Amino acid sequence: MTEKLRQLRKQPNMAHSARTDCPELPDFFLLKRLARDQLIYLLEQLPGKKDLFIEADLMSPLDRIANVSTLKQHEVDKLYKVEYKPIVSTSDQLCFLIRPRIQTVKWICDVANADKAAGRFRRYKIIFTPQKFYACDAVLEEQGIIGDVTTDEWSFYLLPLDDDIISLELPEFFRDNFLAGDQRWVRTAGSALHLLHSLYGPFSKVYGIGRCSKMAYESWREQVEEGEQKARQAEIGKVFLIDRDVDFVTPLCSQVVYEGLVDDIFKIKCACVEFGPDVTSSDKSIKVMLNSQDRVFNEIRNEHFSNVFGFLSQKARNLQTSYDKRRGMDIKQMKTFVSEELKGLKQEHRLLSLHIGACESIMKKKTKQDFQELLKTEHSLLEGFEIRESISYIEEHINRQVSMIESLRLLCLLSITENGLLPKDYRSLKAQYLQSYGVDHLLTFANLRQLGLLVEQQPGETLTVMESKVGKLVNDRTAGKLSDAFSSLAKKSNFRALSRKLNLVPKSDEEYDLRVPRDMAYIFSGAYVPLSCKLIEQVLERDGWTGLEEVTRLLNGHEFAVTGSTGADSKAKNDAQRIILVMFLGGCTFSEISALRFLGRERGCKFIVVTTAITNSSRLIEALLDNIV
Amino acid sequence: MAASFGKCFLTDFSPDAFVSTCRELRVLNAVRERGVGLPLTHTQFKQLTLQVLIDRLVYRQFYPLAIEVCRYLKIPDYQGVSRVLKHWASCKVQQKDLSDEAIARAVCVKVGDSPGVSYSDIAAKAYECGRTELAIKLLDSEARSGEQVPLLLKMKKSQLALSKAVESGDTDLVYTVVTYLKNEMNRGDFFMTLRNQPVALSLYRQFCKLQEQETLKDLYNQDDDHQELANYYVTASYREKRLDSRLSLLQSAVDEYNKAKNEFSAKATEEEMRLLRIQRKLDEEKGAGLLGLSLQATIEALLALGLHKQAEQLYRDFRVPDKRFWWLKLKSLAEKEEWEELEKFSKSKKSPIGYLAFVEVCMKSNNKHEAKKYVSKVTPEQRVKAHLAVGDLEGAADAAIERKSDSELAAVLAKCPASDRQLVDRLNRAAATAAKK
Repeated sequence: MTEKLRQLRKQPNMAHSARTDCPELPDFFLLKRLARDQLIYLLEQLPGKKDLFIEADLMSPLDRIANVSTLKQHEVDKLYKVEYKPIVSTSDQLCFLIRPRIQTVKWICDVANADKAAGRFRRYKIIFTPQKFYACDAVLEEQGIIGDVTTDEWSFYLLPLDDDIISLELPEFFRDNFLAGDQRWVRTAGSALHLLHSLYGPFSKVYGIGRCSKMAYESWREQVEEGEQKARQAEIGKVFLIDRDVDFVTPLCSQVVYEGLVDDIFKIKCACVEFGPDVTSSDKSIKVMLNSQDRVFNEIRNEHFSNVFGFLSQKARNLQTSYDKRRGMDIKQMKTFVSEELKGLKQEHRLLSLHIGACESIMKKKTKQDFQELLKTEHSLLEGFEIRESISYIEEHINRQVSMIESLRLLCLLSITENGLLPKDYRSLKAQYLQSYGVDHLLTFANLRQLGLLVEQQPGETLTVMESKVGKLVNDRTAGKLSDAFSSLAKKSNFRALSRKLNLVPKSDEEYDLRVPRDMAYIFSGAYVPLSCKLIEQVLERDGWTGLEEVTRLLNGHEFAVTGSTGADSKAKNDAQRIILVMFLGGCTFSEISALRFLGRERGCKFIVVTTAITNSSRLIEALLDNIV
Repeated sequence: MAASFGKCFLTDFSPDAFVSTCRELRVLNAVRERGVGLPLTHTQFKQLTLQVLIDRLVYRQFYPLAIEVCRYLKIPDYQGVSRVLKHWASCKVQQKDLSDEAIARAVCVKVGDSPGVSYSDIAAKAYECGRTELAIKLLDSEARSGEQVPLLLKMKKSQLALSKAVESGDTDLVYTVVTYLKNEMNRGDFFMTLRNQPVALSLYRQFCKLQEQETLKDLYNQDDDHQELANYYVTASYREKRLDSRLSLLQSAVDEYNKAKNEFSAKATEEEMRLLRIQRKLDEEKGAGLLGLSLQATIEALLALGLHKQAEQLYRDFRVPDKRFWWLKLKSLAEKEEWEELEKFSKSKKSPIGYLAFVEVCMKSNNKHEAKKYVSKVTPEQRVKAHLAVGDLEGAADAAIERKSDSELAAVLAKCPASDRQLVDRLNRAAATAAKK
């Protein structure tokens, strides 16, 4: 009991020692309105009643833009989810709202051809979002229905998920771009950047690292040059572009900050989470929006989980006191209380009990021995100590079939931090994994190897050896093999060296007070500063990459820093210079967002995170699976 | 003159009209010159509009004069100077007496990067006049790759078109060229072309994965990419329903893995084939429904069905690590609550996974009685944990005190209810002495 009281008294001000001069964020509501207006315009291009078929993963994003009644207002009769099955619609007009995927286009062809065979005449319209690809037209042509459909593009690039998070909602970006080497989404990223630039720019400075970032930057510049430039007051000053493959370590770690944990356990989809019966303590599931509008959530989302419960119970106490106020009130006071305060209190009460429920459910799962041991293993991998113990922990993990995804995650973490596994370990761990989960994972391992996530150490292979090898291949003139050699050179993670250079792993002998975080490492219990965020911090501090040459070499280069044309008036409007847009190509985690928010508070600036999708360790690994299920 | 004189008496009069009229008159004077011979009155000029005047100059190839007029009258570049330059360049490329090199250089020097002048348009003109080489040279100056590609394709410079498309970073453009090449070239040449363009190759592979599986195979074959070819067969085998075809696909995969010197994958695939055959046999004999399960799942299923002999056979045949097999058997027996079997199993030989696992598994099935049987067998390091697992505080305390370990004492203390004064005191004393040491 006394322990608990002491904890409560020690309760820190959750806002931290924030600098009070943080600038205001621009309003991103405009993005939603633009998207909605364009969609309505496109729907009206097909006058009359029509049925609308929506790609499954577009349902939630669409819901944030236009609700069902808006769609109905524009003569959408029935709504269906695309399920790749024959359709049952009776409407004479069908409208398809889809991503530019060959598979979906093929399905539409099947639908149209089935109608043809049945002698049925309908009008078809396909709306591709955010853009159409040539390959889609090719499929329509091949299937002989290009004359029967009209196509359009809904340039819905950006979905604001919160005041400071904007998502492209393109999870496939990661696999297509980094694994398959298919660069078709790069232009999309460039267009998204162009849209932000034309609404909230001009940007005065653009930094970036990674091949894809560089290409996206170039694509954006091209679009800027093609269009005309209106001079306007900038609302966003700086931009930082970063490829996901610059830092794989961070998204592979278990998240321990509240929002990240909720994502890991309950899976947040489009800023919305579904809490099951074990959280709501009723027989129903409840969908909850998780954003800054939720006052309770807003205060705990960036906190290390160990602080959250204490905070919530304090909050519950305060709420009780507010309720208690009504005792001893006269009628008039009571009236104002009911009309002014009660509603707010009730809502807060509801949210509070939900988050407490979520917390309890998390505690049940995550404070158990196994989770502590899991974290311990992760931390030793990050630090590079007790690697043998970690390997046998992973081995047992695989043997006991704890989790297909988790085992792979640990293997990858081991490989990246150790610059590859010893050949002996690589073979034995792989063999055991295949015994546990089936031989089809051979393909998964091939993918992980290609991406450099899980590789075999090349004994004694130093950089110079590699370089001479490359030199030999240049004489060979076989481009394919050459690029192979380059990529394997590039895929060396060099984590340990980077960690030393950038001081990513704080000395473990110092006590780390998670209540009063002193750096971004707090998001991983003080064990590790996320590489991605550390790079951003360093580059902003130095206003470029000077002094980081060694780091960029270890990261395999592709860094850039460009000053915009409007350098002159950038000084005038200082606030915009402290609004920094960070674009993650290939996804970012909630933990990284929390770390950036912390950095913003420390430095008196604000970060806006633009990402191709919100990711976490399991989404990352699942994107690379190739087993047939 | 009169206007100039009169102007002096007006103070609030805007001089703009005066200035612009003067400028226009000068232009009219210039075109009246003998060499040009366009006598125009100011009214005629206004009627004609400046655009038309410039057009006339251009048609008569008075390019320098036209440019001077544009500059003098300050017409925006894309309406004035650029337009004239475009006409000039189109005319220039038709001069038969000059070499390609000279023309290209002349055009580039003059046009530079004036806004609104499209090199691809000029190049198209050159191509129309049959000067392909010149067209290619001119296209090099075109900044927008998207504009270069269609003309290059028209000129049958497909290789160049492909590399330009790749440079542009616009995948749709790359794709356009790839489709074009696919129809134009024979398969071998097409593949060779792709091989030199990794970006185009991976794009085409992506497309084939979804649309033309067979082509994909040919692509890998062409490249002698045995690794990918093997992976392709493995993927194909999973789409195959019939076991025999599946096995033959896997055999092809094994061959390719061997060619790729990937012994590990070859062996793993061979084992998979062996497993599939065993599964089929067991399915036929016992109706076990095993086909397609992983090795682990197969053993698990066999144990669940009580087919211990067959399970052990697999364990030996596939050299399953002892630990894994023990875990499997332990879990399976506990789930079926075959406690006697479990006890026998625990005594069959020294457990490779220790005995704490036995305790925990029993507790998971809520059988404290069975769990206690194994506590004494647990190694000293884990004994405290074992006692705690079965809820035996006294035992845990004894073990911890005996081991004089701070952390273990603390762990027990944390579990102790405050009401048990005696035990708490005992532990605290032990902790104190342990700390002294």
